[in-house]
Order: sequence, then C-alpha cells, then structure tokens
Amino acid sequence: MRQTNRALNRILLALLGIALLGAGAAVIAAGILPGAADTWTAVASSAQQYARDLVRTAPLPEPVRSWWIVAGLGVLLLGAALSAAWLASQGGGRTPRLAEQLDGSAQADGSDAATGRTVVDVGLVSAAIREALSGNRDVLATSVSAWESRRGTALRLRLEARKGSSPRELADTAEQLIREMDALLGHPIPVLVRITSGARTQVSGSRRAR
Amino acid sequence: MSQDRTLRRLIRRETHSSRALPSIICACILMLVFLWLALEAVLWILSDQPLLASPAQMFQWLIGLPAATLPAGMAAAGAGLGILGLVLLGAALGKGRKARRSVAGRRAAVVVDDDVIAAAVSSTARLAASLAPGQVTTTIGGRSVRVQARPTSGVPLDRQAITTAVDDELAALALDRRVSSSIRILDQGAVGQ
Repeated sequence: MRQTNRALNRILLALLGIALLGAGAAVIAAGILPGAADTWTAVASSAQQYARDLVRTAPLPEPVRSWWIVAGLGVLLLGAALSAAWLASQGGGRTPRLAEQLDGSAQADGSDAATGRTVVDVGLVSAAIREALSGNRDVLATSVSAWESRRGTALRLRLEARKGSSPRELADTAEQLIREMDALLGHPIPVLVRITSGARTQVSGSRRAR
Repeated sequence: MSQDRTLRRLIRRETHSSRALPSIICACILMLVFLWLALEAVLWILSDQPLLASPAQMFQWLIGLPAATLPAGMAAAGAGLGILGLVLLGAALGKGRKARRSVAGRRAAVVVDDDVIAAAVSSTARLAASLAPGQVTTTIGGRSVRVQARPTSGVPLDRQAITTAVDDELAALALDRRVSSSIRILDQGAVGQ
C-alpha cells in the first residue's frame, strides 16, 4: 500500500550489486593473478597522475587550488543528496482521510461560491467496522487505514483471525461489510482485505465446537 | 475494468516485497560514505588533520593494496565483496514473494497469510477425522499444501475423509495460485485421545 517506488529500488539495488560484484572480481584477480596486480597498480597510479594533472588545468586561489576540486566535492555532495532522496522515497502515503468532496460549484470567475467541504475520516469507517465485527468470534482484532496511490485513495482493512478460522468465511464477512460501507459512503473505493495472524492469534486458542 | 487493475495492483504490492529494507540499508551506507569522503576532501583542502585518511593517503593505499596484502587475504576480501553483490542482485532480481496469497474476492482484494490458511486446513482436516488439536499439522509451501496427521492409537484414520475435507477447503478458498495437497499419515499414534 505504501508509495515506495519498487522499480527504482530494484534498479538501484541491481546496480549496486553489479558494482560490488565487479569490485570483488577485481580484488580477487589482483590477489591471485600476478599480471592483474601489476595492472591494478598501473591503473591506480595513472588515475592519481591524471587527477593531479586535472587539478592544475583550472587553478583557483590558494586554499582551494582548483575548480576540479570544487567539482569533485560537488559530486560527492550530490551523491549524498541522491542517497538521502532514495532513503526518503521509501514508504509514505498513509492518509487520515478516506474521501473528500467539495460541495457547490466553482464560479465562472474562478472563486468558489458558498461551498462546504466534506471529509470522511478513516476513524469513522474504523469505528463502524469494529462495531460490526465485535460479535464475530473469529476476528480477534481489526485495523483500518487509508493509503494514497496514483489512482486515488484505497482502504486497507486488516482482520486478525482466530487460529483455525476459515479465511473464506472471514473474506465473505469482510466483503459484506464493505458493501454496506459502499452504501453508506455512496461511492465505492478500492479495498484491500488482509487476513493475518498476529500476537493475539498465538495466545488465544482455537474454537473447539463449531 | 480499471477497478480490476487497481485491485490487481493492490494484490501484487501486498504479496511481494518492496525491497525497502535492503534499500534503506544501502542508502544509509552510501550516504555515510559520500558524506565522509566529502568531509575528508574539505579537511584536505583546509590542510587540516584528516578524520581517518586524507584523499592522497587513500590513493596511496589503493595503489599499494595488491603488494601490501597476502594473496589469500585479497581473494577472501574479493569473495566477501562478491557475495555481498550477489545478495543485492538476488534481492533486486528475485521474485520477493511473501508468505501470503490472494483468495478470490468479488468486491475487494483479499490477501491471506499462509499460516492462517494452514491453520484453517488443519482445523478442517482435524474435524473431518475427529482428532484432537495438535494431531494435524499443515505446512504451506509455494505451490504445495502438506498435511500431516497423527492418528489416535488403535483407531484407524480415514484418509479419504481428510483428503476430501482438505480439497473442499482449498477449493472454497479459490487461491490465486494452484496448490497441490498431499496427506501424510504418521506411523506412530497419539496415546489416549
């Protein structure tokens, strides 16, 4: 339900993996093959020499010495910023409001007429569902959350099942509830029903008599 | 139709891992490394004492690495890097399925944990064969449901009844992936039930 960019995660992890594999192969080769060790030293020395030459080509006053050093520092900071952006792109998207509607019509000049805004809070649905399931002995706990996605808000309904209870019955119960909720709210929203086990499943026993 | 697509997307995202954890770890490490390198560069520009090693020292260390290290040490370090890379590649390219699956639903997308399904199958099989709790255990793998029943000592077990009950339960669930069920009846019995 979260807004994590999964394709981006896969691509970046794959790139990192390939880079690490390459580095590992180079290190192994430099350790085992004598020729590769020489190549390693030669390449590293020439890279150092190249960097020194590069620094001289765009001089700056003394403390900084070269534009290229500024550029290198910029690249490092850019890398740190991109990593932070990758970190920040994980998760997110949870919202406290399930639906929102502006009443009244917008005027021709762009300003709103005397309008009202109706917001349906997740707490409403949460309370309604908890109330409806309070008599159901197969449901140990419920939680309701709303998540924003590209295609609008979706509702996630989690039911913690008693050990041995039939998922089919729970799913049918949940669908029945959702239909009633649709009638209440007026327009259907996408719903994900999660039937899980949890801490309370482990400590409460199964129902012996059916 | 678009409702269907939305639900399919919900199911797909719920039953597969988002790789958030390896991504968070990698992003943190990358960020720390970049910040450290930038800090070392700044200290070097200011001709200050380096934190761990100045850029020049790093280059020198890199150049002398094959000569300064034992070949076995290089090979081990390389193998460690390579394994880490393979782990990341596996996380990136693998299926990343979680232990849960979707069951048929008309209005909503329904995703059930595997252990809930296993408990339900155990319970059904147990009721069909009139066994006590704990005499039937079920394991759910990717495409298989393995039911293990321990009969009560001296009382023969009706394998057909268990098979029918398990298959009925699975058919009622209508899992999105076809699973094959297998019933195993243990040789040892449980005493005094």
